[in-house]
Amino acid sequence: MSETREITLTVNGTEETIEVEPRRLLVHAIREDLDLTGTHIGCDTGNCGACTVLVDGEPLKSCLMFAVQADGSEVETVEGMEDHPDAVDDLHPLQEGFHEEHGLQCGYCTPGMIMSGKALLEENPDPSEAEIREAISGNLCRCTGYQNIVKSIEYAAEKLADGERDDAEAVAADGGVSSADGPASFDGYDVDDDGEFSCGVENCCGGPSTDATHRGDER
Amino acid sequence: MKSAPFEHHQPTSVGEAVSLLESLDGPTVLSGGQSLVPMLRFRLANPDVVVDINGIEELDYLHEEDGSLKIGALARHADVEHSDLIAEKYGSFADAAPLVADPQIRNRGTVVGSVAQADPKGDWGSLLIAHDGEVVAQGPDGERVIPADEFFLLPYDTALDEDELITEVRVPVPSAREGSAYHKLKRKTGDYAMAGVGVRLQFDDDGVIESAGIGMTAVDITNARASDAEDHLEGERPSPDLFEEAGELAAEQSHPESDEHGDAAYKERMVDVLTQRALGDAAERAGVVRRTVKP
Repeated sequence: MSETREITLTVNGTEETIEVEPRRLLVHAIREDLDLTGTHIGCDTGNCGACTVLVDGEPLKSCLMFAVQADGSEVETVEGMEDHPDAVDDLHPLQEGFHEEHGLQCGYCTPGMIMSGKALLEENPDPSEAEIREAISGNLCRCTGYQNIVKSIEYAAEKLADGERDDAEAVAADGGVSSADGPASFDGYDVDDDGEFSCGVENCCGGPSTDATHRGDER
Repeated sequence: MKSAPFEHHQPTSVGEAVSLLESLDGPTVLSGGQSLVPMLRFRLANPDVVVDINGIEELDYLHEEDGSLKIGALARHADVEHSDLIAEKYGSFADAAPLVADPQIRNRGTVVGSVAQADPKGDWGSLLIAHDGEVVAQGPDGERVIPADEFFLLPYDTALDEDELITEVRVPVPSAREGSAYHKLKRKTGDYAMAGVGVRLQFDDDGVIESAGIGMTAVDITNARASDAEDHLEGERPSPDLFEEAGELAAEQSHPESDEHGDAAYKERMVDVLTQRALGDAAERAGVVRRTVKP
């Protein structure tokens, strides 16, 4: 009944052979048998997308598939992103985008978001905001409100497009992204005249409080 | 949670799959697995034997043949979503595909698996009903063709025998003056329908409705046909008044249950509204009417 079977997966370009029971989920094989814990288990019900990986190039929820079903397949996880040909200094442009655009707060959904984003950009290098939102509609984020995740993917699209053309004459991709400059040294959050941070959300991310007195002082 | 242990079989042909289903004790067929895998994990399903059909390449198709659109058992929701043929000729399928769950699940889940699952909240069954579709099953005694109306018996219960495998579902190729649409109300992206309505309208050369099909999602114990509304439409010319009457009849024939997302009366009104909208789209796609105001 619970006999194991030998399966071979190509994970992030490396061929791996493991012994699994048929009931072993792909996500458990990735995390426990292959020790690649970047892929997260969020809801355990197939709703949240935290466990999204690419199987033969397609984004799938690895908690909704048995490892034996991936036998012979190519699997890509977030750990493979830094070795991608597009990566610079150990970060793929998507990862850099999430870093630059505050695309995460707690980070739990980020690996799944990055894999969904990668699948999108391979299919559609210049996606509209609506297309980005559709592509990540199977990935839940409970921190950011998605705005900055969209911006992060737009950042990556623009950066990848820039990489595609060293020719400065080319027309810039319309990603609506304003921070094409390199990372400046951090000198506090921008607060506009309305007392909001540049992310548009007041006091959402550990920035300085815009209240005259901190709420904790009112008690 | 983990599934209970099971024996995993991976046949590579329909014949092999059917003989496995016949010879094994209490087998469960695994296609896309987007509903079955969670059921196994929560031990809502505890089969000793799983017959995984993902290796049967001959079932991976979506094409027109012998006057039917045929969707093979391994065609994924995403295949329907991205098919040029579907986009060009099958409005209701083109409407429904992007509304099924989310991109990852559409890449894996299958249309036929969803039909076999027979969740009354599933979208595809309503389209099989609206299009007078059929379910084609292969068993030890050969092929059996089951009309959509006879296929869905109860929630998660169908006319399929345990030793039969659904190889395809099919619907007739639409005629020149035919249009179809699917409208679905859901609380949030990726969710099941609170109510859904699929319609098909076929017109004669004078613009009179020759035949109508209406299938409803999530408002009865199975995907259900709104036959009173269909009868009311046939032989009439399309008009806002006619579609309003059809919407009311569909609502009357629906039997939604109140739940935390809405009460039965609300869902009935939604059936009415969705029916009218879908009829408008279908008539427009058939080239018979042009609406100046769209819902």
